Amino acid sequence: MHTQFFGNFLLNKGIISPEQLVEILKIQSTTHKRLGTLAIHAGYMSASEVEDVFVTQTHYDKRFGELAIELGYLTEAQVNELLALQLPNYMLLGQILIDKQIISHVELEDLITEYKSVYEIYDLELMEEQKHMVDKLLADFYLPEDLPHAEYILSYITLLFNDLVRFIGEDFTTLNIITLPEVPTNFCIFQQVEGSFSFMSALDTDRETAITFASRYMEEELYEFDEYVSASMEDFLNLHNGLYSVNMSNDYSMELHLQPPAEHKEELLATDYPSYLLPIIFSFGTINFIFSVEKIEE
Amino acid sequence: MENVKILICDDSILARKQLKDAIATCGYDNFLEASNGQEAIDTYKEHKPDLVFVDIVMPIKDGVEAIHEIREFDPTAHIIVVSSVGTQTQLKNAIMEGARDFVQKPFSTSSIKDIIRARFEGR
Repeated sequence: MHTQFFGNFLLNKGIISPEQLVEILKIQSTTHKRLGTLAIHAGYMSASEVEDVFVTQTHYDKRFGELAIELGYLTEAQVNELLALQLPNYMLLGQILIDKQIISHVELEDLITEYKSVYEIYDLELMEEQKHMVDKLLADFYLPEDLPHAEYILSYITLLFNDLVRFIGEDFTTLNIITLPEVPTNFCIFQQVEGSFSFMSALDTDRETAITFASRYMEEELYEFDEYVSASMEDFLNLHNGLYSVNMSNDYSMELHLQPPAEHKEELLATDYPSYLLPIIFSFGTINFIFSVEKIEE
Repeated sequence: MENVKILICDDSILARKQLKDAIATCGYDNFLEASNGQEAIDTYKEHKPDLVFVDIVMPIKDGVEAIHEIREFDPTAHIIVVSSVGTQTQLKNAIMEGARDFVQKPFSTSSIKDIIRARFEGR
C-alpha cells in the first residue's frame, strides 16, 4: 500500500524541484521501460550490477540483455520474463531521473527502499496480530460472482480493512457481501469516485455507532451527534478513497478523481447499477459499507 | 506572530480543526477559514493572508481552481496543498498552478511545523 505518490515523496525530500517534477510527468507517458530498471524492480539485479552492465556497454556494442546474460547477472528466462513485466509508475519515474542524470541507479535503489519503508510498509507494519487478523478476514472473504473486475475490488477491500484497523480499531469482523438493487439507509455518508474505474462508495450506520466511530477516528471522546461526527465519517471515507487513488495511480497508472463526500439524505441509496453491501460488525455497532461499480474501462 | 494570517481551506470541519491544532503548536493562531474553493478565493482577496493551506477535493470549486484564481489575483501567494488524493495529474496541475508544496493526509504535526518554519523563518 502506498500512502503517497513517489513524485511527491521526491519533492518533499528536495531531490527534485517542482519544475523538474512537472517536466518528468510530462514525458512519462512516452518513456519506454528499460530492462535494467525492470531487473532492479524484480530484484534480479542490484543497482550496482546494472551500472556495471551500462559501463560494459560503452565498450561493446551489445544489448543490455545480452551483456547481462554474459556477465552472469541474468538468465535468458529471466530476460524474457522481465520483458513481459509491468513497471510501476515510481520505477518509471526513477528511470527518467537517471536518464536526466539527476540521480544514479544506486541512489534510486536507496530512495525506493526508503519510499517503501516509510510510505508503503508502515501501515502494513500493523502489529503482527492485526496483520494476521486482516489476512484471516480476507481468507474467509468471498466476492459475489457477478462482481466486475474483482482484482480492483479486492485491493479496495484489503485497503479498507487495513484502514479500519489503522484508524478505528481491530475489534471488528465482516459478513459476506449482499447484492441489492437499492439500499435503505440510516445515517449515510457517500462519495463518488470517477475515472476509468468509476464507483460510488458509502458508509451507513445508526447515530450512536457513528458517535463511537467518530470518537475513535478523532481520538477524542464525543458525546453527542454533531457536525464533528459526520465530518469524521466523511473524512475517513475521503482518506480511504484518497489512499486508494494513490495505489491505483502507482500500480495501474490509473487516474481517479474524487468528488467531495456528502451526507445522503434520502431513505434509499440507489444507483443505476447493483449495490453491494458489506456489513462491518464492530464491538460498538455495525457499519455497512456500500459500493456500486459504475464503469470500468480496460 | 499575531499579524500573520493563515487561510485554511477544506470542506471538512475536522480537517480544518486538525490543521489549526498543528499550526497552533508553532505559536500562530490567527486563522481564516473556507469550506470550498470559491470561499477560499473570496477570503484571500479580502484578507490577503500570508500562507494558504488548500485541499484538492472540495465542492463548488476544487483546490486546483482555487489555486489558479488566487495566483491570478496575487502571483506571490504562498499556497500549500494538503490532500489525501495523490494522482500524478492532480499533483502536476497543483504545482503548475503555483502550489509551493504538497502535504499528504494523514499529515504529521512535524510536517506542518516544517512548512510553517520554512515560510516564516527570519520574519
